[in-house]
Amino acid sequence: MISKRVLFAALLLLCSSLLSSAANVQAAGWGSIKGRFVYDGAPPKAGPIAVNKDREFCGKFNLRDESLVVNPENRGVANVIVYLYLGRRDKPPTPHPSYEKTADAEVMFSNDKCRFSPRVALLRTTQTLKIANADIVGHNTKIDCFSNAPINPIIPAGSDIEQQFSAQERLPTRVSCSIHPWMTGWLVVKNNPYFAVTDENGAFEIKNLPAGKWTLQVWQEKSGYVKEVKKGGKTTKWKKGRFKITVKDGQTENMGDLLVSPKLFKDR
Amino acid sequence: MGRAWAAAVGVCLLLQAGCNSPEAAFHFNAVYAHKQSGVTKSQAKNVKEILIAQFGTPDEPAIPALPDLDVSTVISLDRLKMSAGPVERTDDTAPRRGLYREHCAHCHGVTGDGRGPTARFLNPYPRDYRRGTFKFKSTPVGGRPTHADLKRILVDGIPGTAMPSFKLLAADELESLIQYVKYLAIRGEVERSYILEIDAELEEEDLLLNVPGEDAEQVAEQVEVIQDITSMVLSRWANAAGQATEVPAHPVDDDKIASITRGRELFFGTTANCVKCHGDTALGDGQTTDYDEWTKEIDPTKPHLAAEYVALGAFSPRNIRPRNLRQGVYRGGRRPVDIYWRIKNGIEGTPMPAAPATLGSDDIWHLVDYVRSLPYEALSQARTSGPKFQRERN
Repeated sequence: MISKRVLFAALLLLCSSLLSSAANVQAAGWGSIKGRFVYDGAPPKAGPIAVNKDREFCGKFNLRDESLVVNPENRGVANVIVYLYLGRRDKPPTPHPSYEKTADAEVMFSNDKCRFSPRVALLRTTQTLKIANADIVGHNTKIDCFSNAPINPIIPAGSDIEQQFSAQERLPTRVSCSIHPWMTGWLVVKNNPYFAVTDENGAFEIKNLPAGKWTLQVWQEKSGYVKEVKKGGKTTKWKKGRFKITVKDGQTENMGDLLVSPKLFKDR
Repeated sequence: MGRAWAAAVGVCLLLQAGCNSPEAAFHFNAVYAHKQSGVTKSQAKNVKEILIAQFGTPDEPAIPALPDLDVSTVISLDRLKMSAGPVERTDDTAPRRGLYREHCAHCHGVTGDGRGPTARFLNPYPRDYRRGTFKFKSTPVGGRPTHADLKRILVDGIPGTAMPSFKLLAADELESLIQYVKYLAIRGEVERSYILEIDAELEEEDLLLNVPGEDAEQVAEQVEVIQDITSMVLSRWANAAGQATEVPAHPVDDDKIASITRGRELFFGTTANCVKCHGDTALGDGQTTDYDEWTKEIDPTKPHLAAEYVALGAFSPRNIRPRNLRQGVYRGGRRPVDIYWRIKNGIEGTPMPAAPATLGSDDIWHLVDYVRSLPYEALSQARTSGPKFQRERN
């Protein structure tokens, strides 16, 4: 055991040392990165959801468990979140000018047909989240943030509210509805625009990153950090779901098909 | 004869063991660490040591030093000391110690984890302070309770639960206990934040704080992270006082019956939507399958996973029940203002949502009036006997 006194002395070190973070050296120019997450096995069938509230309305929509959505045609895994990983001390990069026009945009997150649409909402700290209820039944939207204050407002039928999140969240935050317990969504809040979520084919693209070396982090609701992928028969471990890339000016780095093993997706 | 002698020696040994029982210690939040699976044993040990350096022990509490925040404005070490340590009441005139262990620890646990020896026999389980989440308060969801909020709970207790009133304690004793509860909550929150930090940022072989001297620059950086986290937790508590939700005056001009009628409409309408969880007859039976946030942490819907947490000391999960509004028992207080706060802000840590912004203060007051009328409202229309059952008399 480290002596209490030594530790205490360390804690009292009111260090104002300016620790410059030299982690991300930004070169001139901009480049993109893309890839596709593919389920390395037979696509699982999503089970039906037991609708036990507002059956007469919510029961009409043939709701399915969406915690793992695999495309039956091309095995692409949807809703995998890929974002720029920055250490606690790293400043976010200056965004490419193409992101300016969306800097204060509204991001739609809707209670629609007794599910959240989209399942994963991507929000920048400068943007506004518009939480809407398109249904004829009442919902409430419970967002259990960590860095921001958690919220749990009622969203009456046919109405919407606007909500800002001024601090970035390290991990995707769970969104739920207390009235309809099956409803689950995720909110990603970042202080930069460099994040993406895979589409129904498992594909993602992060455009116009500053050229240079970056670390990306990959997360999915059922696997947590995506800790390993297989590419060209070779398995690569991604500690805490992180991997490094070099972005080159004017180029799109295509990572190709990244195979993810079914064993990553289990109840946590 | 010989046997009696041996027994006497045995009793003496036992008594002695009792006297030399180990010093009280704070328990590590193993349940939360298990959830954030990426915390190793040596990292957990490191967290315990950092916490001892910052917050001391149950017998000798301390408060952390921070560069940007005077911690004594949030919690007072001088005051909370009366609550720390083992129970001491040898001399009535001397300052007493151990108030927390005398009055609280048997339910809330020495660590404030809600797992004292009697806790598992209670329903609801006693509060685990370590999330910093408190239900009955004047501040909105996300805000910490104010000093006055905590005091109200201590003085009034929580009707319908095992939490008694401590109205009979002296003013300085109450004050000390409030400080001590804050201290345990802050300590618990800081611990959780460290666990989260380790899971999110550190490699398995790294520690949150290395032995100073190894690499001075690295240690300085680590200290800064530790202080940042501690500071973030403490500032939430420092801000609480200014966050209490204002309660506009009740629309007194309205007549009460009209207000109750309007409240009833809102209760069953889709804007406030109370009926969905509190049920058609307000008996609290509309939504009985949900859980509170403390329980959700252990994945209550997946029994095989919940069992892992129970093995680490968590209690078996129980569903949270919406309040039965016909009983007239209000856990967070029965004053109209208490019910106003519950409806306006929702109840943090539970599925109870906050009222939508479209509901103005008058509407919330109407709901308060309706809720307060419910225990006196007839559940059914009493049957009046018709002429058929009338006894005929000539």
